[in-house]
Amino acid sequence: MPAGFGGLLPALILVTLFFVVPVLALLLRSVTGPEPGFQNYATLLGDGTYARVFFNTFLVASVVTIVTVLVAFPVAWMLAIMPSALASIVFGVIILSMWTNLLTRTYAWMVLLQRTGVINRTLMDIGLISTPLPLINNLTGVTIGMVYIMLPFMILPLVGTLRAIDPMTLRAAALCGASPFDAFCRILLPLSLPGIAAGGLMVFVMSLGYFVTPALLGGTSNMMLAEMIAQMIQSLLNWGLGSAAAFILLVVTMALYALQLRLVGAGRATGGV
Amino acid sequence: MKLIFTGILAGLLAATAAKAEDMVFTSWGGTTQEAQTKSWAEPFAAASGIKVLQDGPTDYGKLKAMVDSGSVNWDVVDVEMDFAIKAAKDGLLEPIDFKAVPKADLDPRFTTDHAVGSFYYSFVLAWNKGAISGEPAGWADMFDEKKFPGKRTFYKWSAPGVIEIALLADGVPADKLYPLDLERAFKKLDTIKSDIVWWGGGAESQQLIASGEAAFGQLWNGRVFALEKDGADVGVSWSQNLTAADVLVVPKGAKNKETAMKFLAAASSAAGQAKFAEASGYAPINTKAKAEMPADAVKSLPDAHVDGQINLDMNYWAENRDAIAERWYAWQAK
Repeated sequence: MPAGFGGLLPALILVTLFFVVPVLALLLRSVTGPEPGFQNYATLLGDGTYARVFFNTFLVASVVTIVTVLVAFPVAWMLAIMPSALASIVFGVIILSMWTNLLTRTYAWMVLLQRTGVINRTLMDIGLISTPLPLINNLTGVTIGMVYIMLPFMILPLVGTLRAIDPMTLRAAALCGASPFDAFCRILLPLSLPGIAAGGLMVFVMSLGYFVTPALLGGTSNMMLAEMIAQMIQSLLNWGLGSAAAFILLVVTMALYALQLRLVGAGRATGGV
Repeated sequence: MKLIFTGILAGLLAATAAKAEDMVFTSWGGTTQEAQTKSWAEPFAAASGIKVLQDGPTDYGKLKAMVDSGSVNWDVVDVEMDFAIKAAKDGLLEPIDFKAVPKADLDPRFTTDHAVGSFYYSFVLAWNKGAISGEPAGWADMFDEKKFPGKRTFYKWSAPGVIEIALLADGVPADKLYPLDLERAFKKLDTIKSDIVWWGGGAESQQLIASGEAAFGQLWNGRVFALEKDGADVGVSWSQNLTAADVLVVPKGAKNKETAMKFLAAASSAAGQAKFAEASGYAPINTKAKAEMPADAVKSLPDAHVDGQINLDMNYWAENRDAIAERWYAWQAK
């Protein structure tokens, strides 16, 4: 037994009791409800509708992750090179948004994005558009709403990585004749990859299971898995099917995580520098 | 340390003991549950000394979980009637003790062995007068994109209502609705699908119509009533209004079954029903209630629009709930 194992015991019991047991119960229900067998999995994997919902889920999570990285990178870079007093104020503002109720923020986006909302009204008033842009009840609405919620989870690990990069490397690149674009592509980007990978994974996995924002800002044709599971559990009371769907999502997520571990390395994938 | 723990435990036990007579009422929240609290729970508590704790929103998954695990915290729950019929069949509900709940004056349409009516409502066609030119006359107009272009709103979940509306708009006579021709209904709905905005809850439906985000739609009459009371400029057509009901049920194994039955008696009494109907605009399920209401309040009830009124078939829905839901969500996700 490795040294210090005894000290880990309470944590292990906790993890087993609150994480492993429920997941096993979920698995059990997915192959026993309403009767024993794999018919729930056969239904989910054999039906075009469920395949579409799975596809939507991964599409939305991917789009959200990519857009979040693109928006978060400049912000994180700015935070990393800012004087620290100013940076802590900006940090405060970003963190503050995380403390505001999720539902309130999502409803606020509804008010902004809808056809009669602030954005469309303003654009129409100044004559830029004549008919309202479809910003809500579609993929655009879901992406905007979710990127906004996910940004802090991307910015925070990224700032840590960027701050750890020695600024002299960039100066050295410039001295050797690299253009700013080259310096970015060949120095800054590779060095910040661990942060991008850590934040990206977190955003992607959180997006996979998101419920409220897609339900309110998306249309029914962008339905994601979490909403479908909620329907199965709450409205249809088909717990076997809901459990199977949840378990498939879990397996796919774990597979992606394993893949990332292999590609980036364990320490880097979890943001350890 | 141990002493403190024992003390806390003893305190908790004492607290639960004191609460044994209290009961929990669960409903959908919002203006409806507020009216239920004022019309039923408060007078009941004042008369009996039994405290009625409010919980919500109603969640069928939670109800099943409570019954399955044998730890039932809800004593009376407001549910949709088609769910109640199905849940009774699945063994999730206590039978109603009609010795404690007087049955004579209850509308038989909304009373079963396992449920007492809560209220009944109509789906009506409502519109924002500022967002639409002309007045839609009936369900067929919701499918007429030439006459009424723009967004329209329907109830999002698989439930009695939208399928029937599509069939009526397609020319199916009211007495030939059931069994539902789903193929035909979805084909009709396909013609306007891209212009449908779905509402998932009462507040959302009000917001969509009041803001003009959707010019018109299928709403619960009580929500239109509340919009009118707030001074919103809305129009309403009662042509072929579709009735459905909420009922009150007692989950199997509820801790305060006897208290729950007493509460049901109070809630379904003429006085309780009259008060709730006046506050909500939903119709009473006690046939004596209207006599206790002010005349102008009676005018805004579904009861005042029985001409051409259609009763959604709750038994048909209870029977086919899951099969329809599967098709419904598959169609929506397409």
